[in-house]
Amino acid sequence: MQNIRNFSIIAHVDHGKSTLADRFIQLCGGLEAREMESQVLDSMALERERGITIKAQSVTLDYTGRDGVLYQLNMIDTPGHVDFSYEVSRSLAACEGALLVVDAAQGVEAQSVANCYTALEQGLEVVPVLNKIDLPSAEPDKVIKQIEEIIGIEASDAVRCSAKTGEGVPDLLEELVRRIPPPKGNPEAPLQALIIDSWFDNYVGVVSLVRVMNGSLKVGQKIRVWTTGRAHQIDKLGRFTPKSRPSETLLTGEVGFVIAGIKEIDGAPVGDTITLDNRPCEAPLEGFKQIQPRVFAGMFPVSTDDYEAFRDALSKLKLNDSALHYEPEVSTALGFGFRCGFLGLLHMDIVQERLEREYNLELITSAPTVVYEVAKTDGTTIYVDNPSKLPPSNEIEDLREPIIIASILVPPEYIGNVLKLCTDKRGRQKKMQYLGNQVSLQYELPMADVVLDFFDRLKSCSRGYASFDYEFSHFESAPLVKLDVLINGDRVDALSIIIHHDHAYSRGRELVDKMQELIPRQMFDVAIQAAIGSNVVARSSVKALRKNVLAKCYGGDISRKRKLLEKQKEGKKRMKQVGSVEIPQEAFLAVLKIGKD
Amino acid sequence: MERCRGGADGYVMRSAPPLSLYVHVPWCVRKCPYCDFNSHQVPTGEIPEDRYVAALLGDLDHDLPFVGDRELQSVFIGGGTPSLFHPSVFAHLLNSIAGRLPCARDMEVTLEANPGTIEHGRFAAYREAGITRVSLGVQSFDAGHLKRLGRIHSPDDVFRAVTELKQAGIHNFNLDLMYALPEQTLAQAESDVRTAIDLQPRHLSHYQLTLEPGTVFHHRPPQGMPDPDAAWEMQESCQDLFARSGFTQYEVSAYASQEHRCRHNLNYWKFGDYIGIGAGAHGKLTDFGSRRVLRTTRHKQPRTYLEAASAVGRLQEIREVEEADLPFEFMLNALRLREGFDLAAFEATTGIPEEVIERPLDVARARGLIEVTGGGRWRPSDLGWRFLNDLQALFLASKP
Repeated sequence: MQNIRNFSIIAHVDHGKSTLADRFIQLCGGLEAREMESQVLDSMALERERGITIKAQSVTLDYTGRDGVLYQLNMIDTPGHVDFSYEVSRSLAACEGALLVVDAAQGVEAQSVANCYTALEQGLEVVPVLNKIDLPSAEPDKVIKQIEEIIGIEASDAVRCSAKTGEGVPDLLEELVRRIPPPKGNPEAPLQALIIDSWFDNYVGVVSLVRVMNGSLKVGQKIRVWTTGRAHQIDKLGRFTPKSRPSETLLTGEVGFVIAGIKEIDGAPVGDTITLDNRPCEAPLEGFKQIQPRVFAGMFPVSTDDYEAFRDALSKLKLNDSALHYEPEVSTALGFGFRCGFLGLLHMDIVQERLEREYNLELITSAPTVVYEVAKTDGTTIYVDNPSKLPPSNEIEDLREPIIIASILVPPEYIGNVLKLCTDKRGRQKKMQYLGNQVSLQYELPMADVVLDFFDRLKSCSRGYASFDYEFSHFESAPLVKLDVLINGDRVDALSIIIHHDHAYSRGRELVDKMQELIPRQMFDVAIQAAIGSNVVARSSVKALRKNVLAKCYGGDISRKRKLLEKQKEGKKRMKQVGSVEIPQEAFLAVLKIGKD
Repeated sequence: MERCRGGADGYVMRSAPPLSLYVHVPWCVRKCPYCDFNSHQVPTGEIPEDRYVAALLGDLDHDLPFVGDRELQSVFIGGGTPSLFHPSVFAHLLNSIAGRLPCARDMEVTLEANPGTIEHGRFAAYREAGITRVSLGVQSFDAGHLKRLGRIHSPDDVFRAVTELKQAGIHNFNLDLMYALPEQTLAQAESDVRTAIDLQPRHLSHYQLTLEPGTVFHHRPPQGMPDPDAAWEMQESCQDLFARSGFTQYEVSAYASQEHRCRHNLNYWKFGDYIGIGAGAHGKLTDFGSRRVLRTTRHKQPRTYLEAASAVGRLQEIREVEEADLPFEFMLNALRLREGFDLAAFEATTGIPEEVIERPLDVARARGLIEVTGGGRWRPSDLGWRFLNDLQALFLASKP
C-alpha cells in the first residue's frame, strides 16, 4: 500500500490534461506505441469529438521510480467543464493528491481555481504543474506568481513540463510519487469500497469503478451494496491499464473495477459503499453530496412508440450520471415524455446527444428553464421547474428567481466587456480584485440569464481568455411573468417561458419572429402570438402555402418522385402536431436563440 | 415532354391492365438547361437512325412474353427530339410493331416534335408513316424566355409548325407550355396561354418550371425565379383562361376536352401497363401468372444501348415492385387525375384488396384531402388537389 499513489489531474479545458495523461500511459508502458490512440482517456466518441472529458475514467500504471521502487499509480480522470464540477468532487474522493495543471502561456482559469479548492477541501495534496512550457508565449514565472496569488498555494518549485514534447514529464512522475501520500486504510478492517462510477454493460450487467478504502475484495466473495442491501457474488475484478486487466483481488488503497452480476440498472449507485456480506462494515462511507440539477427541460420522443425505450435509456444514463434527474411529464403539445434536470446547458446537450446516439432515440426538447421559488397566497412555498406549472398570478404572493455567485477571472484588457456583460445580465458586483495580470470578479447574477448563453458570451467578449465558475446563492423576488406562445389560438405548453417583466415585450417580439422563421408554410395560415395572461404582446403569422404538387409525373422514373415524397414525409416526422399545425423541433428551442444581443 | 396512354375506361376485369408502348429517342440538337429527361446532344456525324430502330425492335421482342393477348392501345414516341428522325424510319418502326403486336383499331400514336426541327412537308410524311397525334414542345411564345430556356426555336417557328400540322391534317395536337419562368410576369404567363389557345390545339400541357437535380438550372439556379406565391398566381389565372376556352384540367398539368385527353398518358395515370423501349426508357408490366408488377429500365447512354441491343441482356434492370409499395405507386399516378379512381380499378391493377388502403383513405378524408363522389369514385378534394404531395405521401409504406 505504501507504493500506491491515487491522483487526479485538475486542469482547465485545453490546458493539456488529456495529452499529459497519454504521456503518462506511454512512459509507464500501459499501451504499446501502436495502440496509442491520441487522448486515450476520452473514450466516449462524444468526448473525443468535443475535446472534453465528461465521465470519470481511471487508469492503473506501473511506474518504477528513480529509487528503484515499483509504484502503482492510479490516475482518475476528471471533467473540466463548469457544468461538471460535481463529477470532479466524485473523482477527487478516491484520491490522496491532485496535479494542478496550468497552461504556462494562458495562466490560471476560474474553473481550475474552483476545482483546486474542492481538492484542498477534501484534504488532497495539490501539486502544481506548468504545462506547455515549449510554447514561445510561455511565461512560467508570471504564472507561478499567479498560482500563489489567486489560489494561495506554494508554487515556486512547480514542475515545468510539456506534455506535447514530453519534456519534464519524467520529473513530474518523480515529483508525484514524492509528494502525494500513499493511501491510508486498514487492510484487516471490514471491506469498505467507494463506488466512483458505474455503467451498464449489456453482457455483464453493471460494472463499477471502486476505490478500496478498507479491507479487500476477492473474486468469488459475496459483496453487499449498502443502500440496496442486496448481496452479489463477485465474478470479476480488475484494473484499467487502460485496457481492462483482470485480477484476483483489489487491495486496500487500490482502484479498479468490480463485476458482480448486478442486472438491475440501479443496483450499484455511484457514491455508494460496497462491503462484504458476511462481514459488513459498521457504517457506509460518506459518499458524495447529492447534487441539485439547475436547469430543467422536457424531453419527448418524436415517436410515441419510443416512450418505453426512452425511459429505459434514461435509467441507464442515470446510473453513472447521478446529476441527471427525470420524472414523467405530459405535454399537450408534445405528448408523453420526461421532465429532466441537468447541471447546465452543456450537460443537457450531452445527455440529449447520448440518448440520440447511443440509444437511437429521436427527441424533442422543450425550452430549458431554471427552478423558481413561488410563495403562494395560501402561505405555502413551492418550487416550479416547468413554466406551464406556474400557478395563476392571483395565487402568487411572491415569485423568486435563483441567484448565483459567479467568480470570473479575466485579463485586465477585457474587463470593460465583461463588466458590461454582467450588467446586461442584471448582475450585481460583489468584488473586484487585481491579481497580477488577472482581474478576479465576483458577481451576483440571476441564474436564468447565466444558464442560457452567459458562458458563450463571456468567452467571445474576452476572446476566450475569461474563465468562470458559479455556485447557487439564494432565491430573490423579481418582477417575473410567464410568457405564453399561442399557435392558431392554442397555448403551446412546451413553449412557455418565465421571464423578467422588462424583457417580456422585446423577447415576445423576437420569439414570434423566430417562430415565424422556423415554422414552415403549411396548408393553412398559422397565427403565432406571444401573450402574458390574456394580453397579447406580439403577433406574427406564417402564410399558407398555396400548393405542394409535383409539376410532372409520367410512368417513367418514379423512384425519384418517391424519394422526394419520402423525404418530405421524413421531415414531417421530426415535427410535432399542435392542433392542425406542424411545428419543427427547432421551434421548441427558439427561445434559446432570442435575447442574444 | 408530354407522354401518353390508351385503353377503354375502367378496369373491371381481373385481367392484366391495358397496354401501351413508349419509345424513347435520346438525341437533341442541344440539351436544355432545365431538362432532366434522358437526352444527349446529337453526335458528330449522323444519328444512326436505322441502327437505332433495329435496336428498338430487338428490344421490343424481349418484352413480348408479357403482352399476352392484349391489344396495344397507344404508342408514344418521346425524347429527346424524335422529330430529328426521318419519317420513313418511323414508318418502318410502326409497321414492324404492328407485325409483332395486335394493335387497337383506333390506336393513338403520338410523336413529340421540336418546332425548330420541322421543315416544310415533314408532318404530312409523319402522318403518312402512321403518326396520329403530335405534341409540340413550345414552352413559351416569348423570344426572350425561349432563349433563357436554351430552346433552339423562335415563336415564329411555332406558328409555322402549327400551320404545317394543320395543312398535314393533324388537328389532334398538343402544345407544351411552361410557366414560372425566370423573370416571367403574370401578364407574360397569361399571354403565352392565350396565344396557345388561339392556335386551337386539342390538348394543352402546362407545367411549372422546376429545378430538377442533374440539370444545369439545378446546379446554377437562374436569376429571377418567381417565388411560390407568384407561381401560384400564374397557375390560378392560367387555369381560369383554360377553363373559359373549354380546356378542362383533367390532370395536374394537362388540359383537354373529354374526347381529346391523351390516351397514352391516361394509361400511366390509371396504373396501366406499358412497354418502354429505347435508351433510358422505363416500362411497367404486370406478370399475369404471379400478378407481380415489374418495372424495367434500359441503358441510358445511347452508345451503351446500341451495343447492348445486339446482345442478350439489353435490359439494364428489371425490378419487382414490392407489394407494400404498390398502393403508393398507384396513388402517385391515379390521384393526379381530377376524376380520381374507383376501388375496383385499384384492386384490378394492383391485385391488392381495398382494405389495405382503408386507413390512409380515412385519414385523408378526415383531413379534407380526398372526397367520394356519388358514383363511388375517390378523388382529390380542392385542398388535396393543391396539396397532392401530402395526400400521396399518406400512402407511402411505413418503414420499419
